[in-house]
Amino acid sequence: MRTVSRGLALLLAALAIAYPWLAPNYYLVYAGALTVMYAAMSTSWNLLGGFTGYVSLGHSAFFGLGAYGTGLLVVRLDVPWAVALPVSALLVTAFAVGIGVAAVRVRGASFVIVSIALVSMMNLVVQGWRSLTGGSTGLQVPSPFPGLHRGETHMVFFYLFLALLGVALLTWRHVSRSRFGAGLRAIREDEDKAESLGVPTGAYKVAAFALSALFVALAGGLYALWFGSLDPIFVFSILIGSYMVLMSLLGGVRHLYGPLLGALIVAPAGEYFLIALGETQIHLTATGLVLVLVVLFMPDGILARFTRRRAGPSIPDESADQRLQGVAG
Amino acid sequence: MSSLRTEGLTKSFGGVRAVDDVTVELRDGAINGLIGPNGSGKTTFFNIVTGMVRPDAGRVRYRERDITRYSPHRVAHAGIGRTFQLCRVFPRLTVLENMLVAVRRTRLRELLAGLRDTGEIERARHWLRRMGIEHLEEAEARDLSYGQQKLLELAAVLMAEPDLVLLDEPAGGVNPALIDRIVGLVRDLNAEGRTFLVVEHNMDMVMGMCDHVIVFDRGAPIAEGPPDSVRQDPRVLEAYLGV
Repeated sequence: MRTVSRGLALLLAALAIAYPWLAPNYYLVYAGALTVMYAAMSTSWNLLGGFTGYVSLGHSAFFGLGAYGTGLLVVRLDVPWAVALPVSALLVTAFAVGIGVAAVRVRGASFVIVSIALVSMMNLVVQGWRSLTGGSTGLQVPSPFPGLHRGETHMVFFYLFLALLGVALLTWRHVSRSRFGAGLRAIREDEDKAESLGVPTGAYKVAAFALSALFVALAGGLYALWFGSLDPIFVFSILIGSYMVLMSLLGGVRHLYGPLLGALIVAPAGEYFLIALGETQIHLTATGLVLVLVVLFMPDGILARFTRRRAGPSIPDESADQRLQGVAG
Repeated sequence: MSSLRTEGLTKSFGGVRAVDDVTVELRDGAINGLIGPNGSGKTTFFNIVTGMVRPDAGRVRYRERDITRYSPHRVAHAGIGRTFQLCRVFPRLTVLENMLVAVRRTRLRELLAGLRDTGEIERARHWLRRMGIEHLEEAEARDLSYGQQKLLELAAVLMAEPDLVLLDEPAGGVNPALIDRIVGLVRDLNAEGRTFLVVEHNMDMVMGMCDHVIVFDRGAPIAEGPPDSVRQDPRVLEAYLGV
């Protein structure tokens, strides 16, 4: 079973690497890069949402801050893009620690509201601070690869996002196999109980929150360099945040590849709706509808249907007592 | 040296004084019992001691350390473990994962180390074997019977190496054979040097197992002493029987 899944992962990785060369046109390379970007972001979202069960609808705040941070460093301070990207991501992560300390004090629906408030505030700040950010007219970021034409740039960013996805997946897997990860899952199951067992739940949640923000901020920074034009209303939108949630839930938040699978379905579907229905708001309605259906009928996601639980309810109820009698006798 | 000592512990919910000026001291190295009618403040007392509820007044001292304002995980790190009234395990984690959640010391390297840390897994298996549930380590906790979950909860608490273990109704909802087993386990664990505080309604269990019994009524202790003397105490009879 383990070798099968490892082989499958290698095959998928090979396919992903070959994809830009197999794609018949540059539009599909562009769509592929976008899909991989969303996959990296939802995998990153799942570091918080999947392990701890804290559903953040506001992760686009970190996407937008990562994008604007990178863009501003490049445009205003002439920092080379390869430096601006990690510096901006680390600044956002530090910011996320501060936000996290306040945000993870509240649970459930209250946390969702706080996360939405966060992205709305960031949107207003960036729009309002015209002298720095350019306000609602946006920020133009020069391409890091001026020698390449548009199609080739899509190819380069496809691989950059793919590398980010790889790191996010490895991080998720490592956390999942650590005691830190066991503690995060325990928080999802019963936070007070985890505390009573000595788990510093506050610190754990802030760490997961910040780690999750880090990769989303890196995706935002790459996005800024790739698109070259930042619109505060788009990068700080609830939509990007809900995409991360939808993809993760659809694929399955308990699985390493759940958010990736969700992204492979939702992102191309979103692009398709955009082309089929034009630049209307109908694809937003479609996204909302799918999110409702997933939450109602498939809260554990697609992958949960295919992975068998290791032991079912078939464990006989009296087995412990029988064993006890065996011990006693 | 005293194990756990409280001084003037008070907590009100609305107009009700759930715990009213409680000054008690546990016998170190003993199995202490805490009994009292329903609503006499036993669970609130547990919750204050373990940091889950902040007292309005009073102090909690453990091994001469003031732990009154400690958060629950720091109370656990100080060496106090607890089980809950209606057994709480992590339903969608496996039995082994349930065991590996407990943290006694926070060392970053240990936390980032894999779940495959063989030393820790061996320790977990040791406790599971003592509870007689080691054959279930791969099962999800929600698939266990109630009695098995109670044993798992106790095993997970012991993973954090507590010196003082608070048990909230260990006999609640389990069959007589298992009660005997739990009593045997508590006696063994006590003989190994752990102090216990047991809240329980099963009088036979309390009187048969405890060395020292504290009786609560309306949020305050009304009697304490060895089981035999407590059993005869007129104040206790009055609280329980209303005579």
